[in-house]
Amino acid sequence: MSDEPQNLAAEYVLGVLDQGERREAERRIAREPAFAAEVAYWEARLGPMADAVGEAAPPARVWRAIEATLGGSAKLGLWQSLAFWRGLGIGSLGLAAASIAALFFVAQPAPKPMFATLQQGQAAAFVISVDMTRGQMYVVPAAYSRDVQRVAELWLLVPGETPKSLGLIDAAQPMMLNVSEPMRDHMKEGMGLAVSLEPPGGSPTGQPTGPLIAQGKITSL
Amino acid sequence: MSTVIEQDAARQRLAAQLSRVAIGDKAALAEVYRLTSAKLFGVCLRILDDRGEAEDVLQQIYLTVWQKAGSFDAAKASPITWLVAIARNRSIDRRRARPAAAHAALEEAVEVSDPSPSALADLETSEQRRRLYDCLGTLEDKQATAIRRAFLDGLTYDELARAGGVPLGTMKSWIRRGLMKLRECLGT
Repeated sequence: MSDEPQNLAAEYVLGVLDQGERREAERRIAREPAFAAEVAYWEARLGPMADAVGEAAPPARVWRAIEATLGGSAKLGLWQSLAFWRGLGIGSLGLAAASIAALFFVAQPAPKPMFATLQQGQAAAFVISVDMTRGQMYVVPAAYSRDVQRVAELWLLVPGETPKSLGLIDAAQPMMLNVSEPMRDHMKEGMGLAVSLEPPGGSPTGQPTGPLIAQGKITSL
Repeated sequence: MSTVIEQDAARQRLAAQLSRVAIGDKAALAEVYRLTSAKLFGVCLRILDDRGEAEDVLQQIYLTVWQKAGSFDAAKASPITWLVAIARNRSIDRRRARPAAAHAALEEAVEVSDPSPSALADLETSEQRRRLYDCLGTLEDKQATAIRRAFLDGLTYDELARAGGVPLGTMKSWIRRGLMKLRECLGT
């Protein structure tokens, strides 16, 4: 046997491990951030070796099978108002609920009030109400844990177009955000909203560069 | 060869499509597939050396992309690195799941093919690629060859040892020493 110490992360990425060892490595990726970082390091460093593999066009049936599997199942949950209100809770997030309720009343008799809950996994991370009479959004951070190094940026997702920045949002307290003129026409039911983490000052490219941490759709009540 | 600016633009386009996939945009998944499926199918075919299996795995890969796009972080990884890692992991797992008899039969078929240029190669920064090949160049030939073959063909230590006609311990030693040297050379 070899006397050299094993480097499980590198060997996982290289692909020399057997099934049992691979599952062990994957368990560690899920549990140990340092190990996951080591795997990411090797993936980035060894990745360019894949350039040596020639391209091969797959037959059309592969994409057809993928499409058939996705079917009509929308990935985004629809507006689950019951679950949302239950999740919001009366005590802990009373402020958020009250703020939104207040906005409803002042917005009368505006066009139908619109809402979005941006989910982070199962939890509502941001609750947004949209007041198109005033061209404003009210953004309430709910169960959202702040990232100290990065800022949260809100994006409007229009099908068939690249994400449009709506601005940076405050992850610590409710805030009002003005909807710029070119965005107003897009602010309607069914459009997607998403929050990404960006370097201080916002995305340097005009497109999301960090992970999308929360997402949802605009819906009207 | 495209310019660095074009490479950056292509990478950003792919990253932007992935963030749309993350929120359930099927058109964005179709675009990611259009841009990357030939590259990833090549990776699957190389590891599996069986078209039927490679097609199956390719399908699983894009379903995984559909499910996991939200975990892609453009600040931490290039989109093509992320996609290739999924393709390799899926293909390697499929290969490992084969009955033992199939391994022996297919091993004969595995051969090292010539590097061929790939359009998507441009999505990796040429700097990273240059660094890797410089560092591989500092290894002993047998170490570098074993590492390259392991990565491209997805072979286990045991398969590599048999293919190379050396004892298992020797193969482990070559690769582990090679990886240690690579780590020193590549830095943090």
